[in-house]
Amino acid sequence: MSDEPRRPKALRIGPAPGAAPVSPAAPPDEPKAKPEPRPAAAKSRRPRAMAAPEIVMEPDEPEASLVPAEPTISAGSLSTTMRWGSLLVSTGFSLMVLWFTLSVSQFIEALFARSAALGWVGAALAALFGLAVAAIIGREIYGLIRLNALGSIQEDAARAITANDGKAAAEAVQHLKRLYRGRGDLSAGLAALDRHAADIMDPADRIRLAERDVVGKLDEAANRIITRAARRVTLTTALLPTPALDILFVAGQNLRMLNELATLYGGRPGTLGTFRLARMVVGHLAVTGGIALTDSLTQHVLGRGLLGRLSARFGEGAVNGIMTARIGLAALDVCRPLPWLSHQKPGLTDVLQRIVDFSPAEAADGKQG
Amino acid sequence: MGVLDETRVALGGIGDLFSGLVSPGVRLGVTGLSRAGKTVFITALVHNLLSGGRLPLFNAYAQGRIVRAYLEPQLHDELPRFAYEEHVQSLHGDNRRWPESTRRLSELRLTIEYAARGVIARNTHGGSLHIDIVDYPGEWLLDLPLMTMTFEDWSHRTVSQSRIAPRAALAGEWHEHLASLDPNAPASELAAQEAARLFTAYLARCRTDAVSMSSLPPGRFLMPGDLDGSPLLTFAPLDVTPHASAPRGSLHAMMRRRYDSYVAHVVKPFFYGHFARLDRQIVLADVLTALNAGPSAVADLSAALTAVLACFRQGENTWASSLLGRKIDRILFAATKADLLHHTSHDRLEAILRLIVEGAVNRAEYSGAAVDVAAIAAIRATREATVKQGGETLPCIVGVPQAGETIGDETFDGRTEAAIFPGDLPEDPARALDGSLAGAIRFVRFRPPLIEAKPPLVQSPSFPHIRLDRTIEFLFGDKFR
Repeated sequence: MSDEPRRPKALRIGPAPGAAPVSPAAPPDEPKAKPEPRPAAAKSRRPRAMAAPEIVMEPDEPEASLVPAEPTISAGSLSTTMRWGSLLVSTGFSLMVLWFTLSVSQFIEALFARSAALGWVGAALAALFGLAVAAIIGREIYGLIRLNALGSIQEDAARAITANDGKAAAEAVQHLKRLYRGRGDLSAGLAALDRHAADIMDPADRIRLAERDVVGKLDEAANRIITRAARRVTLTTALLPTPALDILFVAGQNLRMLNELATLYGGRPGTLGTFRLARMVVGHLAVTGGIALTDSLTQHVLGRGLLGRLSARFGEGAVNGIMTARIGLAALDVCRPLPWLSHQKPGLTDVLQRIVDFSPAEAADGKQG
Repeated sequence: MGVLDETRVALGGIGDLFSGLVSPGVRLGVTGLSRAGKTVFITALVHNLLSGGRLPLFNAYAQGRIVRAYLEPQLHDELPRFAYEEHVQSLHGDNRRWPESTRRLSELRLTIEYAARGVIARNTHGGSLHIDIVDYPGEWLLDLPLMTMTFEDWSHRTVSQSRIAPRAALAGEWHEHLASLDPNAPASELAAQEAARLFTAYLARCRTDAVSMSSLPPGRFLMPGDLDGSPLLTFAPLDVTPHASAPRGSLHAMMRRRYDSYVAHVVKPFFYGHFARLDRQIVLADVLTALNAGPSAVADLSAALTAVLACFRQGENTWASSLLGRKIDRILFAATKADLLHHTSHDRLEAILRLIVEGAVNRAEYSGAAVDVAAIAAIRATREATVKQGGETLPCIVGVPQAGETIGDETFDGRTEAAIFPGDLPEDPARALDGSLAGAIRFVRFRPPLIEAKPPLVQSPSFPHIRLDRTIEFLFGDKFR
């Protein structure tokens, strides 16, 4: 070791609380330094400096699976080939906005020319319109920020667990508190988190606690959302008369489910946010879908075959429902701010069983399976 | 283990299987050498569960599924009950102190009633779990490896060990007497008694704080319990080779007979009575005291723990094992007294413990048991503080050091509160064993924390702790699911 190790030492503080004070000489607020000579050039931030390689070594695989696959899609070669396209779109959009504002202002001028009162009404309407646009844009941006916050909590939590990083754990919990502040259903859990904030705990345990007391309370509701969407898709696909309609309907239901899930876990996405979420979910499915497909293939084929034999439309409905359930489960991974530690992640089978629970005749079947 | 012993374990296991259906229980093996903190751990565990301690990581408890916990009469009537109330009493008040070292076996049964989730559990035992814990002098644990050793093996090992520093310096008197003994000479009771006396004195010297050796069998020599003065304890190792044969009527033959009956009448009943059918195990190791004493003490602790732990049946439980005798399926290795360190060093303490018990951990993991390593403090005697001094920030612990503890040239009187910086634990755990830490670390024992006494009808808060909840969750958490 090149640097001088820090020597053990003691600082007297004062008589112990509760013990009879022996000598009231040393005031407790003024710690008397120990006379032991300190090595002058003790470079002593050794633990901090050397901790870095430890962190880099461990977290290669688990972290990748915990953090949504979104970055791999948005980054990379796409941007270089899309440059002309995006130039086209953005300039076109700007021209549209210019044309729109110009024509509105011309229109209002024309109104003023006709009568002052009409002109004022037009101006007021235009102002309200502008306000609404600003509010919507603001909400969309806010939604995206919230969505990003979910992602950053996920990253912190993953780092806390895989690299045993206490600071990341504290940060994740802090962000989680900010995210869920003011939600009545979670206030008890948040209070519990606050109570244990000063306890000595391993980083992973801190995340586990936050998961159990706060995030885990939302899982049941999330399950219900997925089940409901999958069930609705199954039934409606079977009943809708035209095939063209059910594509729209399934897409709409899926987006709605994503929106609800994200809102439940604190995301509050707007339209843009939902689309971004959808893209993240698709990316996540692309990464994990292969594995999920193989382990539940039998279920897939079985469900389809059973219902398909009853009716061709029902078979299609089942396929759509299973797809919705799978998308919902992927969205669960993307939206849930903390990984599954103390709670069991619901599988496709669980969701399908709950869908089937709907009708009493199938309920017994589902429970046995 | 012999066939007879296996059968005994299996029969007991079948009995357990049936009684477990009606009233499920867990036998917790609190394993630790002397002064590792077994008694304090048991006391703190029970006290926290009985009086509503803070256990956020014990899931069933934190989620309110534990209805109540209470003490019941112990399982074996021939054993005294663990003196829980006495220990709690001694940890409270102005005159608070840690429990005395344990001198005999005692047993405790803790029953926890909980809201059972399963249909079967609700309708058979209604959601109650017995936890049976045995407390015993840690010295006796050192006897377990003797079950697989002959007298000659043991003699050879003990004598050659005693010729290496730091033991050699403490064994002078006994070595002198040993040299004067001829194993083949006719047996002499006086010689045997003298040898046993000197050998015991040597063992006692080996475990003083400065040397702090751990591997000191036979355990009853240091802590005779009810065998004080018994002829079972009048033997000592002789300077013989592992394969020496003993002529009839010689000193060697007599020593061997006494050693064998010690193993048969003392060690085996102790082991088969209390350790052969454990469900869960916590291994407590006082790493910090060993680190204080130096690398040879750490190495000795490692050897002792590895030898002791090799005696336990570990592994995954299957249907077959519930008939052939249950195995320990969860083992927690705990470095106790973690409150003598700032929490930023706990990871390093865990790393050192992991290195010390590496052999035992590997064996347990290979057998299929779940293994965890943690730095814990069953009762936390200190708070943490940061001291800025001379341009550097020192992570310190604050508490009342016990009277007589020293650090540098400072000696404490047991009344003064002090902030202690015990030194930095090495990042590379191997340095705990290579001697490069000499003088760089010093851990001071603290007095128990002062728990404020509440008016009689209000329950007083339980002891503060470090990771006791995680320990409980690991050991029993699955039983409450």
